[in-house]
Amino acid sequence: MAEYKKPLPAISSLSEPYWTGLKHRDLKLQRCNDCQTLWYPPGPFCPGCWSRTFTWQNLSGRGKVNSWVIFHQAYFSSVKDEIPYNVAEVELEEGPRLLTNLVGIDNADIKIGMPVEIVFDDVTEEVTLAKFRPLGGGSK
Amino acid sequence: MPAWDLKDQAAVSGVGHSPYGKRLNRSTIDLAGEAIRNALDDAGLTRDDLDGLIVSFGTPIGADADTLAYALGLKLRMYNQTWAHGRFTATCIQNAAMAVSAGLANHVACLASVSFSGFRKPMMGGAGDNEGAREGGGGHGEDPVYGMTSPGAGAALVAQKYFHRYGATSRQLASVAVAFRKHAALNPAALMREPITVEDHQNSRYVCEPLHLLDYCQINDGAACVIVSRSDRARDLKKKPVYISGMQGLPAGREEFIWTHPGFGTSQQKVFDYKPDLQPVYQMAGVTQKEMSAFFTYDAFAILVWTALERWGYCKPGEAAAFTQDGRIELGGALPINTNGGLISEAHVMGWNHQVEIVRQLRGECGPRQIANAQLIQWGNAYGDSLIYRKG
Repeated sequence: MAEYKKPLPAISSLSEPYWTGLKHRDLKLQRCNDCQTLWYPPGPFCPGCWSRTFTWQNLSGRGKVNSWVIFHQAYFSSVKDEIPYNVAEVELEEGPRLLTNLVGIDNADIKIGMPVEIVFDDVTEEVTLAKFRPLGGGSK
Repeated sequence: MPAWDLKDQAAVSGVGHSPYGKRLNRSTIDLAGEAIRNALDDAGLTRDDLDGLIVSFGTPIGADADTLAYALGLKLRMYNQTWAHGRFTATCIQNAAMAVSAGLANHVACLASVSFSGFRKPMMGGAGDNEGAREGGGGHGEDPVYGMTSPGAGAALVAQKYFHRYGATSRQLASVAVAFRKHAALNPAALMREPITVEDHQNSRYVCEPLHLLDYCQINDGAACVIVSRSDRARDLKKKPVYISGMQGLPAGREEFIWTHPGFGTSQQKVFDYKPDLQPVYQMAGVTQKEMSAFFTYDAFAILVWTALERWGYCKPGEAAAFTQDGRIELGGALPINTNGGLISEAHVMGWNHQVEIVRQLRGECGPRQIANAQLIQWGNAYGDSLIYRKG
């Protein structure tokens, strides 16, 4: 695998199950065992009812585009060759929203509300990112 | 003690600033020293009168409070500093007002001194932007792992959703930058004084689409300072006091995203029809929006003017796009906004330059850009904090 130069996540004791899940092709978030709240980003206990018991639950990996932007400026030298690149905020079917990149689509075709599904991108041996593509496969 | 007992208990007694500029090649302690000295002179105070210092924006872009006290030979009874974000301007002034009202200090210098141009590459969204990668996410929705970096990107996310949700356009947003540039043309301290048109805005390059370069604030160096004093002391000083009549703290939580109001649906916010209802700042000051001579807001990105107008109830959600047309937010309009030219055209001094302008407007010191008979001015932000200033 070519050396990956873009920023990598700072994985903490809280977020480790999330990243391990992605590595194993599961999108998992914490769901409260008491009030059923599902939340992101990872937290020590339920932000709704403060219950300390929760389960890392596998999610559908489907959602829709809530908003999106196109970077025309390279803030990191490691993304210089990818300008212009997209960043989307995807609202999962189960509710929480994730920032991500849309793949398999031209930037000009991105629309708010379009259905998308997860694509697991193994960027290093340790880290897998959650990217998304149009539901049913990309157009390119 | 109910919060409204603090109404008018503290006042701004002096304001001052350094020159603003790109690559001034001056240290942030140097710039801060000039701003503090000018503000003390403006108030008719001396260094020995100053016993409090609150800094909103220190390392690595600005000067820190403790090093300022050391370099300037201050003898402080209290100092405080917030983390290096523009959002804390009102918080600092509120803390100063509380401190002088409670007797912890007599006169508190509140300021930011920044050198953005020197630190731009490593700091604002770039490889050295450690904050973007902090646990829990960046302060403006950054997630560098996916290339989501820089404060403006979160604002672009809000703008895209705003355009879609309400059928507004980038062309309408141009009116904000055009208005502020007109104000800056009347302000000798402003960095950008050449008039611009809607077409100039539309033709300027995208930084983070859908935001154009002309939707973005300046990146510059400079310092601006406000002296907060107990009102009875301020009345004995050189200039007429400008009273701090209302205050409202900075909210936080899962329903907040820094660049918009609750209910908007960015980050983990729920989606609902936001209603500003009763905001404590108006109750404390005993006034309504209708009585404001002007509105000032943190305009790091033009879209924040729309979301601030809606958060503070000057417009219903979705209506700010139309409200900001036809000169309504320009001098002489129904609600002048950021008559200094704002962060977009005067300079980016974390909103401290706006406080200087508000005070000067309420003293009638603004010359060609003076608002006739200015009595009450609100500082109210997209992220939900506010001050109401009243002419003394």
